[in-house]
Amino acid sequence: MKVNNIFKKYRFAYLLILPSIISLVAIQVIPSIQGLYISMLRLNQFTFKDFLRAPFVGLKNYYTILFDPNSMIRVGLLGALRNSAIFTVVVISGTIVVGMGLAMVLNQKFKGRGVARTLLLLPWIVPTYIVGLLASFMYGYDGIINRILFNTLHLLPHPIYWKVGPMTLLSIILITIWRFFPMTMLMYLAALQGISKDYYEAAEIDGASGFQKFRYITLPFLKPVTAMMVLYGMIQHIYSFNIAAMMFGMGSGYPGKWGDLLMTNLMRNSFSLWQYGPGGAASVVLMVMVLALVGMWLKIFKDAITAE
Amino acid sequence: MNYRLKKKLKRYASLAVLWLVVGIVVFPIIYMVVLAGSYSNSIRTGTEFSTVSLSRYIKNFIDMQKNVDFMNYFKNSVIVISSTTIISLVLSILSGYSLARFKFPGSNGFGLTMLATQLIPPTLILIPMYLVFITIQRTFGVQVIDTYMGLIIPYVAIFTPMSIWVIRGFFANLPVELEEAARIDGCSRFQAFRLIMLPLAVPGIIATGIFIFLTAWDELMLASILTTSPRVQTIPVGIRLFIGRIQNRFDLTMMAALVTTIPVAILFFALQKYFVQGMTAGAVKG
Repeated sequence: MKVNNIFKKYRFAYLLILPSIISLVAIQVIPSIQGLYISMLRLNQFTFKDFLRAPFVGLKNYYTILFDPNSMIRVGLLGALRNSAIFTVVVISGTIVVGMGLAMVLNQKFKGRGVARTLLLLPWIVPTYIVGLLASFMYGYDGIINRILFNTLHLLPHPIYWKVGPMTLLSIILITIWRFFPMTMLMYLAALQGISKDYYEAAEIDGASGFQKFRYITLPFLKPVTAMMVLYGMIQHIYSFNIAAMMFGMGSGYPGKWGDLLMTNLMRNSFSLWQYGPGGAASVVLMVMVLALVGMWLKIFKDAITAE
Repeated sequence: MNYRLKKKLKRYASLAVLWLVVGIVVFPIIYMVVLAGSYSNSIRTGTEFSTVSLSRYIKNFIDMQKNVDFMNYFKNSVIVISSTTIISLVLSILSGYSLARFKFPGSNGFGLTMLATQLIPPTLILIPMYLVFITIQRTFGVQVIDTYMGLIIPYVAIFTPMSIWVIRGFFANLPVELEEAARIDGCSRFQAFRLIMLPLAVPGIIATGIFIFLTAWDELMLASILTTSPRVQTIPVGIRLFIGRIQNRFDLTMMAALVTTIPVAILFFALQKYFVQGMTAGAVKG
């Protein structure tokens, strides 16, 4: 009776969200639960034909990817996890530092400010898979980057192998920061324009230095945006796939462990090597890790978000 | 005087650094445009900047079409992405309005669930979805994989949650009094929404639409698994053919890349005002 009343009262509201709920349940909720189930199956090229009847192995897949010292999948995943961790941290800090710095310059008045702003937003319009494709050209051994740094500017003793070996991760990081800083810059610019000039004038009268003004006025005001950018960056870059996949070929042809990120590793394990079970288990573990990270994020930025 | 001079010098120095940074940032895009209109051989020998010409652009475009039917992938992308954008936009307008206007039992839960979906690794959904689609095909004989529908439905479900949040912010900022006045004048709830609120939210709707379009245009992972034939494959999947089949034609690959970027660029510059407004409003409001 009571439930009925509530439904009657808000019938319009429920009707409006109904289509979204249906699509949400069908494509997000049900597959996620199924994913949990698949992570406990021995699902490979032999049992794939009828996946509902694949042998149930319980937590064996989790054991394989977490503890089994002889498992190649586990070794690959650990490498990918390390790469993704470095990648995510450096890309988030990089986009924040570059974005904030450029936003502060653009916040001043100068000739050509509009032009500079538009030009700096340009990387945003290039689809990320195109960025990966372009980067794989530019980073080649006789690509334009080596030619400029070695032949023209003589900054290097010899050309660098950007796409093989230890420089691989750095090359993905640099091009990813290039692609994603414009958004950060725009957000900081919007926030900077909301700070009243009075604060800076008052600080100037009190004899504050430029750095002090930045440290005690600008930075606290930008904290909510920083919080959002860290969260957005975590979701975006832990699950980063397109740029690395296009730079090194989809699923195969990765230069060993270099430059293999979590998503490229999981896609390769699942769809090229037929390891759906361990792939699913790794996805579940990854989700738990991301949830923990978001929990930490909530703790660190709590005051910044609630102040909004 | 000395203080002023120092300040002026500092200002010029920082501006010089800024324009240097602008140059570095823009360079890859200029390079892409140059490669698209250059000879493949001159790219290999490092003389691409001297051989770029207008006639070469036309020639490369025709060659690209001859080697790989790129416009087919382009057409598929346009069909899939515009359907996704329209359906997803309708869903998120309805839900966003509902969340902004009514506080009903379960509204918080619904909102949080939608945000939580953003944390799910795409592979966790993609593996079961792929298996279910294949099972549907085997048991009911209905083809889902390798159809437009099989790509549009997951896209809609995946891109809607974020746009609901963006558009909810826009509706929440509209004055509720206007709607109440319309109700007093005899409008039904739906009429008040359609005739009063919807037109007012147009800038927000445009911003959200661009947001969905750009994200979907950029989607590679699902497209690479859920499509298998050129009949429905989208650009990110099709563009890999250039790497495999005509390995050495850098110029043609970059021509394809340029053609892919142009619609996004047009959309961005034509609707920049709405887009920028929408992104910043969404972020600052959390």
